[in-house]
Amino acid sequence: VSGPTLYVTLAAFGVLVGVASGLLGVGGGTLAVPFLTLAVGLSQHAAEATSLLVILPTAIAGSLALRRYGVGNLSVALRIGTVGAVGSVLGALLALALTGGTLRIVFAVFIGIVGLRLVRDGLVSEQRSP
Amino acid sequence: VLDPKLAAIGIGGGPSVGAARGGRRGRDGAAARALASYGQRDAHAISLGAIIPISIAGIATYGIAGEVRWWDALALAAGSIVGAQVGAGILTRIDERLLKVIFGTFLIAVAALLGTKA
Repeated sequence: VSGPTLYVTLAAFGVLVGVASGLLGVGGGTLAVPFLTLAVGLSQHAAEATSLLVILPTAIAGSLALRRYGVGNLSVALRIGTVGAVGSVLGALLALALTGGTLRIVFAVFIGIVGLRLVRDGLVSEQRSP
Repeated sequence: VLDPKLAAIGIGGGPSVGAARGGRRGRDGAAARALASYGQRDAHAISLGAIIPISIAGIATYGIAGEVRWWDALALAAGSIVGAQVGAGILTRIDERLLKVIFGTFLIAVAALLGTKA
């Protein structure tokens, strides 16, 4: 798939990424990176870099929507984000120093651990509820 | 001015943007809940806002290295903006425990898929 068809496909998949982002708080990369590597054929580095650009407008749009519903704390978010921006540069430089295969494994292990912990938390609170 | 707990969340989560791109907000959400006692929905919203300055810094770094596919990202972003509005609207009406299970299961499935393709 290439040309206009590719961009239409990417836009359609972007809707799914956006729903997951707004609904689950998932970074768009959890969907976009696998799609860009496995379906579009980008390298792991290019997929991660591109998905990072995708999440920026998604995060802005999602934050504005959640703000309308009175969810969250913008001041706290920006304070965390300002500190995290320094780490973001360091993390990107580290990723660029790794091979694509290594970076993909790091990515998989990391989100797998987060997923396991969340499932555990959800099931434990389910059992404790009346 | 800057709560040490919040600084710790930012320092701990920022590098994951570059090194493990997808888990950033999941990690922030978990950290926000653990360190600052926020609920699941507020933690999601806070981590969503935090990713804005963090992603700008990461994009700049990757952009200098020539790894950003701008037109692919633009197409994905166009759809994702629409989808984010829909998802955020559903968020306020969904069960919090169910949200954790769905989110976690989704991440495990993605991790397994990538592991088989590495």
